[in-house]
Amino acid sequence: MTAVIETTSLSKHYPKGVRALDDVSIALEPNRIHALLGRNGAGKTTLMQLLTGQLVATSGDMRVLGDHPFENAQVLSQTCFIQESQKYPDGFRAQDVLAVARTLHPQWDEDLERQLIADFRLPTDRQIKKLSRGQLSAIGIVVGLASRAPVTFFDEPYLGLDAVARQLFYDHLLADFAEHPRTILLSTHLIDEVANLLEHVVVIDEGRVLIDADADELRGRAYDVSGRVDAVTAYVAGREVVAQQRMGGLANATVIGPIDAAARAELDAADLTTSPVSLQALVVHLTRTPELAAASR
Amino acid sequence: MLDDGKPLFQQIAEQLSNDILDGTYPEETAVPSTNELAQFLRINPATAGKGLNLLVDDGILYKKRGIGMFVATGARDRLVEARTRAFTHEFIAPMLREAAKLGITPGQLVHLIQEESA
Amino acid sequence: MFRTASVIRLHTQQRFNTFVLPFIILAIAFAVVLAIGVIANLSVDDPSQLDGMHEGMRWNGAVWSVLGPLMGFGFTAMLQIFPLSLGLGITRREFAAGTLAVFGIIAALFTTAITVLKSIEQATDGFGLRIRMFDVVYVGMGDWWQTAVQTFLLLLMAMFLGAAVSTVYLRWGQRGLWISLTSLALVPFLVVSIAFVVPGMMEQVFIAVGSVPWIGWMGIVALIGALAAGAWVLLIRRAPVR
Repeated sequence: MTAVIETTSLSKHYPKGVRALDDVSIALEPNRIHALLGRNGAGKTTLMQLLTGQLVATSGDMRVLGDHPFENAQVLSQTCFIQESQKYPDGFRAQDVLAVARTLHPQWDEDLERQLIADFRLPTDRQIKKLSRGQLSAIGIVVGLASRAPVTFFDEPYLGLDAVARQLFYDHLLADFAEHPRTILLSTHLIDEVANLLEHVVVIDEGRVLIDADADELRGRAYDVSGRVDAVTAYVAGREVVAQQRMGGLANATVIGPIDAAARAELDAADLTTSPVSLQALVVHLTRTPELAAASR
Repeated sequence: MLDDGKPLFQQIAEQLSNDILDGTYPEETAVPSTNELAQFLRINPATAGKGLNLLVDDGILYKKRGIGMFVATGARDRLVEARTRAFTHEFIAPMLREAAKLGITPGQLVHLIQEESA
Repeated sequence: MFRTASVIRLHTQQRFNTFVLPFIILAIAFAVVLAIGVIANLSVDDPSQLDGMHEGMRWNGAVWSVLGPLMGFGFTAMLQIFPLSLGLGITRREFAAGTLAVFGIIAALFTTAITVLKSIEQATDGFGLRIRMFDVVYVGMGDWWQTAVQTFLLLLMAMFLGAAVSTVYLRWGQRGLWISLTSLALVPFLVVSIAFVVPGMMEQVFIAVGSVPWIGWMGIVALIGALAAGAWVLLIRRAPVR
């Protein structure tokens, strides 16, 4: 399958040595839900802004739908970028934004638009600056989903949305994605909430790619081991450990690597129990110890 | 209902097998589609599809083009057989090992089991 | 093409603010000028006593009540519409084309309005009150077509200046804004300062300024407008969104 989004050594540097994005090479396959994860300031938004022609790269190359996105109406009409920090002109109402967005996306679905407005209880005739943070986010979600753009970027799309509204977003995203497969790149901090929606995960940290893997594969990349301190200590010796805790005579460690037959035998013999590591915990551990992320590849 | 341990698609396949075993989906009836499954479980459709295809590969489900996936005739028997094998491997063998450590003979073990299930 | 139309739509989405509000402001200013005219006419016995007022009102700035806000259009275009346009996937080129069209439409609309009102004012000898609001130096004192040309050029220049200055801000931030504004203001400031110091220069400046013919002024306005438009188009190609 050829990639729908591809970057080669993509970098965005600012004066004073700030490397917002540094040598990023990724390839995202079409019609999948990809997650872009990382801490605040890791470069997630910068990457999306480059991919949608909002910013100019310092060096490197990128392809979106086979072409460079900058100043490329053909590419941009097939993409939709929902950014957390989107500003709206004074006096604009949601309906003003929607009226124009509708004309810019050939695949726009008005029925879905109405459904989303109703579900998110978005007051479309009220001035945007009088809306709550959650309602502001809802505008982006309506545009992002109703656009049905073949490549859709969601950058922290649900700031201020409560749990109910977030679930609504996931449900709509899944339902519409199933009916109309397209490429979604979603950046979020709420990793556990979206873990089951994802097929592919890219984690960036300080502008560099830390992890680029399928979600399924990532799930098997680490595990927790717990048991008696001496047993755990003996087991983790010579293995990659990202976190370790002890409580009295018991210890707990997060170990990188699959549990192969040899490891399983060793675990059973030492009377150690294992449990899965959540995607969120894994990302947290790996962003704390970047050199291990590289080692775990 | 889904935990983070095994790959998600395997968990889906296991869950469906359970449902076929307990008669939720009798043989020659349709199972939920990929999209139904994805929405119900709130998982990615590709993952749901992978889970279903795992069962197709095992001959538990079969595809009717344009209609959906159905439980194959004899699926239940095949599942019981496979699960019995797994049961022996995952439970009986370790139990016998543990029993050996404790000096329990297989005869005593049968007795213990009968007592426990009485 | 239709994407450029979407840009025009973004600019004019708030129809009331774009097309109605300036006329309301104009109407209020006009009402004030009319009221002054009525009071002036009531206070004199002979309309000829109003010759002085009629002459002085050449400098009546009431027309700026509509010109001023229109200049703000250039700022709004860059600071408010541009970020949303890019966010919606419009290219800078498309945005520039649509914005150019909107500037043209707005300038033409208000030029027409002011030209018509000026003609009425001239035909009715100041709406029967010997007042001036549209037959003033800022928008052209001569024939109707001169007013049309002058108003159109002035409005375009103002909007392009607004757009250019805002784009400087988007590209280089506050510092860039102040540096560019200061250097722009420095030229007239230096001329005036030197004119104050050098004996007799003030008169020279006045004579020089006064001797520029109408067509010369139009050339200057057009040149400034064109420079601003050129700077704007150049800068927008890489302007980031703030």
